[in-house]
Amino acid sequence: MCLTCTLIPAEVSRARVYIDIEAPELQPLPIAIAPLRDIGRSRPDLDRKIMDILANDLTISGFFEIIPRNEFPQDPDALADPPNYGSWSTSRAEALVIGGYASKGEQLAIEFRLFDLVEKAFLIGKKYEGSVKSLRNIVHRMSNEITYWITGERGIFDTKIAFVSTMSGNKEIYVVDFDGHDLRQITRNGSINLSPAWSPDGRLIAFTSYIKRNPDLYLFDLTRSVQIQLSTNPGLNAAPAWSPDGSRMALMMRKEGNSEIFIMNRDGTRPKRVTKSWSSEASPTWSPDGRKIAFVSDRAGSPQVYTTDVNGGNVKRLTFFGSYNACPSWSPKGDKIAYCGRMDGRFEIFTVNPDGTDVRRLTESSGNNESPIWSPDGRYIAFSSTGEGPSRIYVMNANGANQRRLTATKGKESSPTWSPRMDR
Amino acid sequence: MAKKWFVVLGVIISLMVMVSCAKRAVKEEPVVTGKAGEQAWGKPGEGAERAGVEEKSLQASLERKKYPGIEGEFLESSLLKDIHFGFDRYDLTPKAREILAQNAELLLKNPRAKIQVEGHCDERGTVEYNLALGERRANTTKQYLLSLGVSEDRMTSISYGEEMPLDPKHNEEAWAQNRRAHFIILSR
Repeated sequence: MCLTCTLIPAEVSRARVYIDIEAPELQPLPIAIAPLRDIGRSRPDLDRKIMDILANDLTISGFFEIIPRNEFPQDPDALADPPNYGSWSTSRAEALVIGGYASKGEQLAIEFRLFDLVEKAFLIGKKYEGSVKSLRNIVHRMSNEITYWITGERGIFDTKIAFVSTMSGNKEIYVVDFDGHDLRQITRNGSINLSPAWSPDGRLIAFTSYIKRNPDLYLFDLTRSVQIQLSTNPGLNAAPAWSPDGSRMALMMRKEGNSEIFIMNRDGTRPKRVTKSWSSEASPTWSPDGRKIAFVSDRAGSPQVYTTDVNGGNVKRLTFFGSYNACPSWSPKGDKIAYCGRMDGRFEIFTVNPDGTDVRRLTESSGNNESPIWSPDGRYIAFSSTGEGPSRIYVMNANGANQRRLTATKGKESSPTWSPRMDR
Repeated sequence: MAKKWFVVLGVIISLMVMVSCAKRAVKEEPVVTGKAGEQAWGKPGEGAERAGVEEKSLQASLERKKYPGIEGEFLESSLLKDIHFGFDRYDLTPKAREILAQNAELLLKNPRAKIQVEGHCDERGTVEYNLALGERRANTTKQYLLSLGVSEDRMTSISYGEEMPLDPKHNEEAWAQNRRAHFIILSR
């Protein structure tokens, strides 16, 4: 992506946290977005497009409320640079975005400034240059920046979610943007493809496929669009989970007639056994410090979530309520493990602290909610749900609020995996 | 005497058929049934002479198949019957043991057949835990056949988890059908 951005000098140098996203009852921050000025007067159509993408990003984040334009003050200077703060005093808006864009051929420049209407202060200004084709990406980066200045952490609007869909008749892997746009098919091998796992560097998706009559592990290289065979031990090579530094992979492999957790190098070499039991082990997930793995085991008679050191020691049972707890996902900050547990015959999403305390239920629906996966900033969880009929991928805030369907492909969707941030 | 000549002739024809089959690089083929006399099951010569009723009937029951998206063809026999499991269980029921005894008998009489035991699950539960459960079901089944004398080098196992339901419906009856071990013949 050829995209440059320039920092416009700001009067304040530090982001202040305007809304505490950890608060149980989060009040979205009312924000006004002024119509963008078409500086070159060449593409009047882009104003609407940019606005739509920006407003949608900020809305689906759950952190902002967009003030409708008919609530803007009548004073034309209210949208000047800097704005006439006094004219906003009767408005609900607490922040204001003004900006403009210019395009020349396929080149596009977008500039924005963010103002605090309560403190009457200029917060940040940035200018982005890229191609018109990268419009969505530019606006997502604007949204990331605005989110940083309001919440203290960059947004994740430029991330993507990969998942399995049966839309073509069999299970293939697809990728879609965080805002549900730009659906793209990744695998096209016609086989059964399972458990996609995005690499921490964003370049690869590991998955299991039955192409050669065995559940083998493959990598899909997103930069070259090629499929690479990685691990083909007879029996399972399933449920890959990248170590946080990307150097290794935990996975399910056959040992002594049952499934155990192994760790191998990212090139498929030196598989090393982690769990040792007579029972079935499944669904490994790494702690963000790379020292522990949470996994599923039925060693106590029913599937439950356990944690272990990566060398196999210090195994602890994490879940005790219910007869079926599975699909653990360790949060990127390390403070929570999300999982799915069966309750009244249906799966719901829960979180629990890594020491087993503070179990919280996040979903409550008429269908099955499974396969939770954290966003790279730990503020969101994607999961699959049959709550509205066929299984779909949903995204919610980490406290269970603000649930939204990501996309709706034909067929059934399952097994989401989240890309890392792409704008590092 | 004439009968013996027929058997020898049968063996020659079967060898010719096998050679021509091997040469053909065809992906999809019509169902192979009702050709019991044409293809010898056991070793040529003496083995063919000992060909019993079961072998012929197994031969007659074979059907050539291919799973979409999975390389290679295989054979399936209606005489190698599926066994079924309880929900989230991989232990063998008395009924399953009975069926496995019959399957083992058939396999012992057809010593060249190499089979793959497939472990399947119903749709309930997670995709990944069901892969582990299917692995376990396939292995338990394989171990039991081993205990009945079927040699290990003739058997491989695979877990399909919940990915290949026989009955796609979402009810108890369908789920009971789908929790199964299935047998395919990879070579003979």
